[in-house]
Amino acid sequence: MPISFDLTPEQRELQGLASKFAREEMTPRAAECDRTGRFPEEVYRRAWELGLMNLNVPAEYGGSGLPLLDQCLITEELASACGGMTTSILANCLALQPINLGGSPEQRERFLKPFCSEYRLASFALTEPGGGSDAGALKTRAIREGDSYLLTGQKCFITNAPQASLYTVFATVDPEKKHAGITAFVVPRETPGVSLGREEDKLGQRASSTATVTLERARVPLQNRLGGEGEGFKLAMATLDSTRTPIGALAVGIARAALEHASRYALQRSSFGVPIAQHQAIATKLGTMVQELEASRLLTWLSAWMVDQGKRATLESSVAKCYASDSAMHICDEAIQIFGGYGYMRDYPVEKLLRDAKLCQIYEGANEIQRLVIAREYLRRFS
Amino acid sequence: MEAVVCIKPVPEADSRLRVAPSGATYDPEGLRYTLNSTYDEAAVEEALRLREAGAIEKVHVVSLGPARAEEGVRYALAMGADDGLLLETGPGDAFDPGATANLLAGAIQTGPHDLVLVGRRAGDDETGMVGSALGEHLGIPSFAFVTGISVEGPSGSLRLRRFTEAGEEVLSVSLPVVVSLLKGAQDPRTPTLPNILKARRKPLVHQPLSEVLARLPAPPVRSLPVRFDLPAPRTGARLVEYQNPSEAAEKLVRLLREEAKVL
Repeated sequence: MPISFDLTPEQRELQGLASKFAREEMTPRAAECDRTGRFPEEVYRRAWELGLMNLNVPAEYGGSGLPLLDQCLITEELASACGGMTTSILANCLALQPINLGGSPEQRERFLKPFCSEYRLASFALTEPGGGSDAGALKTRAIREGDSYLLTGQKCFITNAPQASLYTVFATVDPEKKHAGITAFVVPRETPGVSLGREEDKLGQRASSTATVTLERARVPLQNRLGGEGEGFKLAMATLDSTRTPIGALAVGIARAALEHASRYALQRSSFGVPIAQHQAIATKLGTMVQELEASRLLTWLSAWMVDQGKRATLESSVAKCYASDSAMHICDEAIQIFGGYGYMRDYPVEKLLRDAKLCQIYEGANEIQRLVIAREYLRRFS
Repeated sequence: MEAVVCIKPVPEADSRLRVAPSGATYDPEGLRYTLNSTYDEAAVEEALRLREAGAIEKVHVVSLGPARAEEGVRYALAMGADDGLLLETGPGDAFDPGATANLLAGAIQTGPHDLVLVGRRAGDDETGMVGSALGEHLGIPSFAFVTGISVEGPSGSLRLRRFTEAGEEVLSVSLPVVVSLLKGAQDPRTPTLPNILKARRKPLVHQPLSEVLARLPAPPVRSLPVRFDLPAPRTGARLVEYQNPSEAAEKLVRLLREEAKVL
């Protein structure tokens, strides 16, 4: 198949829908939700109504089953308005992906359909207070008792946890077995023994909610286990392999907003008698920012295209996520610098973008882990 | 009963227009076209509501324009229209409102058209004439400045609410009829993502303009654009310096009287 960077009319329409939604529903609330930390449920409900949630759920379960490239186009548009809201909108894709990938047809029917027939949120619960990157060492225990499991442990930094009706939880049936003991479960919120910690007060992405989920002998029926015992680690990694690329697109959206703000400001603000964009010190900054943005977008498109072609994209998705999020931090930092003192003020939009971008370097696999993965994947070619 | 909605693709509202090399119109190169949003979306929405109320069975969409106008037709299909027809113009083709109405009527006449809806005016050339001209070419009555349509009264008729400066008027009109819509209380729906995907599978026919022209008894009479100028760039605000409010007022009054000459 020849390479083309032309979007299809349909892709442009999806992009147009996301862009309109971002402009009309997200942008007007972005600053307020950032300041107060309010979770704008009305925005998420509207996103659901328009079909902008659950993009990865196959059509047979009521979702749109969009190719990953289309998901990335939508994500970039949303994130250009608010990174935090975009994270909360995308969280369902992450939480439902283990069910998509590892659930039986009966489980997919039972768990995915309700998300497409009404507005509901789900959370992906892997990270623990004692470990994020070292997922194989998680401590949450799953003890088999008859036809069910008793889950005990703590999951932290869980996106949308306070509002979610369902959690996909990773626990170990035998800590001795390390990776080979990890097993995935679908845990409904109302399960006795499931409780929530306080909502976290975050640096950025404050329109998204984050909390700790505590499990105390939470009884989960055998029918809610995804795959077999010990298959959870692979499932978690396969999930992250397919959801990492949209994080690159999310970073591109934030960076694009920063670059656009900086460009408009540089054309309008004068010093020494000319717009500051005409000073080489500012123009070369903008030149670098444009390069980083374009490269980030192309890397996310490449990674998404590979996933859509059914190719292994572990290296490419890590490159896209890591490069795009590092670039977004740099672009937002430079945007603040171009705004000067104004950029440091909350009355101007760029400092929020920097705070929002920071999370992209940390969540869905910290960039340090991404670099290890990239090196490991690359070195395989030589052994 | 079936409805036909005529839509026009226009450049997006925030487009930066340039004069075309011919100097006679704006340059379409590089512009993004959208449905004539203010009024055409209201017209599509009104038709869809009548269909949902059971008053009409089908909503057809017709547009006259270049191939890229397909995006506007697809948007109407994603909103919920049943099928689309694009009378495809070639490069350099330009039609005034009378000729546009003549060509649209030529296509509309071949199918059911109990209710023909248009937006009040286009977002680019703002002529607002196609609706009335369509009535003329189709040989049926036309009504302008309509804010809403409802199904009341004897069958084969509709109720129109018309907005005038003197007040609101309600008319009972018999079909077929052309209605030119103001933006009323419609609040046009945004196509959902699943509906955008579904719209791809709805029928959309591209008809070369030559086929429509061949059906017309005479070529449409038309005016030709001669020159197009962009509005002069706005000059920046002038700041008046002052020590106290009475001095400021004095200076402003003098400027308004002597320079702006509005007092």
